[in-house]
Amino acid sequence: MKTVIVKPERCVGCHQCSFQCAVAHSTSKTSMGAISESILSKPRIRIYLSSGKENFPNKCRHCEPAPCEMACITKAIYRETKSGIVLLNQDRCINCGMCAMACPFAVVRYYPYILNREAAHKCDQCIDRQKEGKVPACVEACKAGALLFDEVNKKMDEDTEKLASLIYLGIRQRVQEPDTFSSLIAYKQQLNEIRRRQS
Amino acid sequence: MSEFKDLTICKDAQIMLKKAQEDGIETAWDRLKKQQPQCGYCELGVSCRICAMGPCRIDPFGEGPQLGVCGADADIIVARNLARMVAAGSASHSDHGRDIVEVLHKIGLDKTSGYNITDAVKLKSVAGEYGIKTEGISEKEIARQLAEAMMDDYGMKKDMLTFVGRVPKQRIDVWKKARVVPRGIDREVTEMMHRTHMGVDNNYVSILLQAVRSSLADGYGGSMIGTELSDIIFGTPTPGMSEINLGVLKEDQVNILVHGHSPIVSEMIYIAVEDKEMLALAKSKGATGINLAGLCCSGNEMMMRKKIPMAGNHLMTELVIVTGAVEAIIVDYQCIMPSMGQISQCYHTKMYTTSDKAKFNFMEHVEFTPENAREQAFKIVREAIENYARRDKNRVLIPDAPVKSMTGFSVEAIVGALGGTLTPLIDAINAGKIKGAVGVVGCNNPKIKHDYGHVELIKGLIANDILVLTTGCVNVAAGKAGLQVPEAKEMAGPGLKEICGALGIPPSLHVGSCVDNSRIMVIAAALANAIGVDIDQLPLAAAAPEWYSEKAVAIAFYAMASGIYTVLGIMPPIGGSRKVVDLATSGLNDVFGACFAVEPDPVKSCALITAHIAAKRKALGLEV
Repeated sequence: MKTVIVKPERCVGCHQCSFQCAVAHSTSKTSMGAISESILSKPRIRIYLSSGKENFPNKCRHCEPAPCEMACITKAIYRETKSGIVLLNQDRCINCGMCAMACPFAVVRYYPYILNREAAHKCDQCIDRQKEGKVPACVEACKAGALLFDEVNKKMDEDTEKLASLIYLGIRQRVQEPDTFSSLIAYKQQLNEIRRRQS
Repeated sequence: MSEFKDLTICKDAQIMLKKAQEDGIETAWDRLKKQQPQCGYCELGVSCRICAMGPCRIDPFGEGPQLGVCGADADIIVARNLARMVAAGSASHSDHGRDIVEVLHKIGLDKTSGYNITDAVKLKSVAGEYGIKTEGISEKEIARQLAEAMMDDYGMKKDMLTFVGRVPKQRIDVWKKARVVPRGIDREVTEMMHRTHMGVDNNYVSILLQAVRSSLADGYGGSMIGTELSDIIFGTPTPGMSEINLGVLKEDQVNILVHGHSPIVSEMIYIAVEDKEMLALAKSKGATGINLAGLCCSGNEMMMRKKIPMAGNHLMTELVIVTGAVEAIIVDYQCIMPSMGQISQCYHTKMYTTSDKAKFNFMEHVEFTPENAREQAFKIVREAIENYARRDKNRVLIPDAPVKSMTGFSVEAIVGALGGTLTPLIDAINAGKIKGAVGVVGCNNPKIKHDYGHVELIKGLIANDILVLTTGCVNVAAGKAGLQVPEAKEMAGPGLKEICGALGIPPSLHVGSCVDNSRIMVIAAALANAIGVDIDQLPLAAAAPEWYSEKAVAIAFYAMASGIYTVLGIMPPIGGSRKVVDLATSGLNDVFGACFAVEPDPVKSCALITAHIAAKRKALGLEV
């Protein structure tokens, strides 16, 4: 099963994933339309800064078993059997906050979804887009390679191969030819070093 | 092929897109796809990169920050971004105009070998507007004095640009009241950049009023100077026939293309191409001749004055290389996609940059100055001829046959066609034979099906007896669709058909390049003056169905500020501020008697414009 794989070290903090997530979950599905709707759509993925000032894109992992699902007393949260995606029926939600408290990744938020009524909001892995053959909106929006849509095991195999070649080719050679991202990361690490020294 | 039919309405483009795919060439359409989805913050105009406390963005969904680090809200950020687009657009046209002022000055000082005064009558009449005495004074001396007077237009000596005097007094009063009378061309652009620096102008209305002033410094400054001086130096265009589309390339000739904007370069290439020695050289290399064709506004300038055929507009500039039949492309500045250099490496095509201001990878720099232009033009043409031997005939594909198109409708030519005065046009408008006139201008943008926006709108307008004036990329779209030949009158409504038939003109008139939008302003002002009303009372409108560039934003602003309702086919990046959207689409009416509308569907924009023209006619007491 394909899922959204997060590579926080590639994140440049542009917030495009959040933006396009909100658009994808709006009624109109266009940016101009989405910001004009009476109940504003909200993103289900957010970027935070770690204590080391690194970007950290955070979203639902669709855990199995899912603590939020187990905590949900009204069975608003359920697992779609075919895809394994953890979904939320907002009409059944009673805003008790149990799912938010149970979630180890702190990805649940409460917002109005219809007039005068709030409900829990969380990532639905863009299940509707997937049915149309599209990848989740956050993945499509990410131009930095921080969000991927793939099978976890397959991706890990690929990463292992890369790691192996890196080690066998000699890490030193790699360091001599840094790509754009490694220089950005190096710059950030330098900033962090300065900050640490100051505090 | 079917997938390409969704991208462009042009047969030549569809064939070339297929060849591009086979040749492994990436085009603007492919790159647009890879950029999807494009930055939502930038699309709405709520991202700010102006200072290093930022970059900042406003969350339009209300969860994240609503203020930048400096405290600017969405309204301020959107207004600042839009204003800087206008400043950049104004700067571009005005810097183009400046180069032509420089050439005129060098002519006056006798410091150029290649350039001369072609239209002395216009030189004298424009000099008259600047209060320069012309009687008994040599052309060169008038040229020097006029160039120096125009240099003052660029500076800070004046309270008002000279050409502002061309608009009706009522309009100047409107501008005075709104405090947007342009004083100096460079001054308004510089002040715009100053005002949008952190901590200067932070009222969105005030910011946008200065944007209007910058745009007027373009429309009645840089662009108008560019047009008038180009006419003086290279000749005021007169009507005549030419040809359009990729079919203008010739299989057995050396094909040389000019691309960019300034006639300073392209006119010199023309001289070199016409040279007998060059023709002999081409023949010695096995070619039957040298074929000069244009792209974008360099092409428009050459088409208007010399009836040089036009190979294509903005989105055709990459595809023209894919024909494999082009020996050389000479560029100056503006709208030249940097991808062209890369693509030229896949064929034998040589590309040349000519301006110190515009350098590109994979192009050879041959700098043109007023002093050396002639020699440099000959050097490039000679190299292009030598390059003919490198053409791989197996890779050549020239699609389609060229389409005839009429061109050359300068203000002088239009007045000439009417018999020397605007009265016949006013009579036709009064009688309802011509309901009104619309400038359909602007670029191509792969977000809109190539040329579809232009062609559908023009067809709709002329069918409603509305006369169309085209500039820039629209000329190519309209020409290719067969709308710019006298026979196109058959597609016009009965009134417009009768007028076009009587005068032998098309219902859609090519008035020039994008700086030549100033010609449309001159006609609008002259019409208003002749009738004795302000421009905003006339049954006029403007449209930019496929715009992409900052210059187009500046043009839209000066058209609107002149009192002309302007419909854009692409939403400018202002959606993130309700206040700016409201101001642009209605609030401006109270100040300038005109505003903007955004409508990507040409059928609907045609309906908007016809309704607007009907309302203006009604207000003038004319039959709708």
